[in-house]
Amino acid sequence: MTLAAFLPTDSFNVIVLIAVFVLIALGLHFTFGMLNIVNLAHGEFILIGAYAAFQLQEWTGNVILGMVLAPVVAGLIGVVMERGILRFLYERPLDSLLATFGLSVIIRQLVQLRYSANPRTVDDPIGGSFELAGFNVPWWRLMIVIATVALVVAVLAVLNRTEFGLHARATVRNPGLAETMGIKVDVMRAALFAIGCALAGLAGALLAPINTLNPQFGLLFLVNSFLVVILGGQGSFRGLVAAGVLLGGSLAILQFNISTVFAQIVVLVIAIVGVRLRPILSEQITTRGDRRRSVEASV
Amino acid sequence: MNSVLRVEGLNAGYGSTTVLRDITIEVPAGEVVCLMGLNGAGKTTLLKALMGVLPKKGAVTFAGDDITGWKGHRIYDSGMAWVPQEDSVFSGLTVGEHLAIALGGEGLDRGISAAAKLFPVLGDRLDQPAQTLSGGERKMLGIAQAMVIEPKLILMDEPTEGVAPVVVQELIPAIRLLTEGSAVMLVEQNIDTALALGTHAYVLERGSIVESGPVTELHDNGTLAARLAL
Repeated sequence: MTLAAFLPTDSFNVIVLIAVFVLIALGLHFTFGMLNIVNLAHGEFILIGAYAAFQLQEWTGNVILGMVLAPVVAGLIGVVMERGILRFLYERPLDSLLATFGLSVIIRQLVQLRYSANPRTVDDPIGGSFELAGFNVPWWRLMIVIATVALVVAVLAVLNRTEFGLHARATVRNPGLAETMGIKVDVMRAALFAIGCALAGLAGALLAPINTLNPQFGLLFLVNSFLVVILGGQGSFRGLVAAGVLLGGSLAILQFNISTVFAQIVVLVIAIVGVRLRPILSEQITTRGDRRRSVEASV
Repeated sequence: MNSVLRVEGLNAGYGSTTVLRDITIEVPAGEVVCLMGLNGAGKTTLLKALMGVLPKKGAVTFAGDDITGWKGHRIYDSGMAWVPQEDSVFSGLTVGEHLAIALGGEGLDRGISAAAKLFPVLGDRLDQPAQTLSGGERKMLGIAQAMVIEPKLILMDEPTEGVAPVVVQELIPAIRLLTEGSAVMLVEQNIDTALALGTHAYVLERGSIVESGPVTELHDNGTLAARLAL
């Protein structure tokens, strides 16, 4: 008897949707979570990644090359946007919100001018599926899950185990102090924004083969990305992953068993209640941690 | 006189508001120069301007370089360290990580040993988030961060302000130890601390230097008491 006999038939798709939720929010962790820019153009960087993969496929016939170059394209556009506009707006959050909204509209319109509103597709780089424990597992969807896990591990390692990550955390916590301790805050901010955009671009490229592309493609992911980052706690990477699992899992289970509309309503309710309860829970966790530390210090 | 810092005609402020006007000061190598004045005189603003946090006009020469237009990180790399009065730690980062940032990835073990020797309590709390330290311990961390990079000049903003007397007794010898290798510009309102550590003093009032001279002389002729409204 296989594992599939005990689990719902959509179990693998639930895992895929959880991965998608985490994947689309990874980039926003850098731009919004860390840099505090309410980046309403986040969806458009997903769009840029998807269309970059599409364009490179058109030019070279090589889908994998598109997957590799999509984050580079999105990252470079991100640097131009940060250096050209957003670096003047770090202390003006409402202005940066307006700027990113305007840029999102411009990017969307430019994509529509270049590619029209006609649906486009990116080939599945691997194609096919295989049987695992009684489940039918499409190779590319499995790749999305694996890539998401790898990216989560990589981001955690970079932020917590490297000098760049240490300087990044210092920069976002106290930019004035960071600058006077030898950290090039301007460079660090540009790098973080570029990484956020590159991750969004990579998400777009990875998701392109399982979606139909059009200029509105990025908008599909914008709200859910923000929900994940806000519920997880702005700037908390572990919180982001937990929120991605909670929201993506809830949406998938309800969507597959009841309806998409009902699932989206429940996800919004979970996000609202979660945001309301999070300060209380985090205070309890912090208090417990402080108590433990003071006991350790007194020993 | 061999000066590590020379400031001439400095003007600085916040946005369109000018706080400091025509500041001219000098810090000789290896000396502790006190910057004194009442709250709101512009002492912290001057340190921020020198450290590149605030834009400034005038001429600032540090260790032979004109650093007037330099950014903070470049000023730090050239050998000027800042121990701020408030907002002095990165929330969420441990004590050890603070020292790692200060050292820029070089000689971390040596730096941690030196910091722990100066302030043993920090050595016991390397893995503790810095925002959970007491006020006095934060001051110690700030001083340790400056000390481990062996700077040419340390800008120190009221290191004994709001700290328990028992901690002050620990801080003063540490600051004195620092002065053996670095010049110090010490912002201070406490005359006893200035007398204990300083050689020369400038008195700031409403953004301008109104008095300067040897600390003992300014104390003995009553200038400090009068200017600090004691």
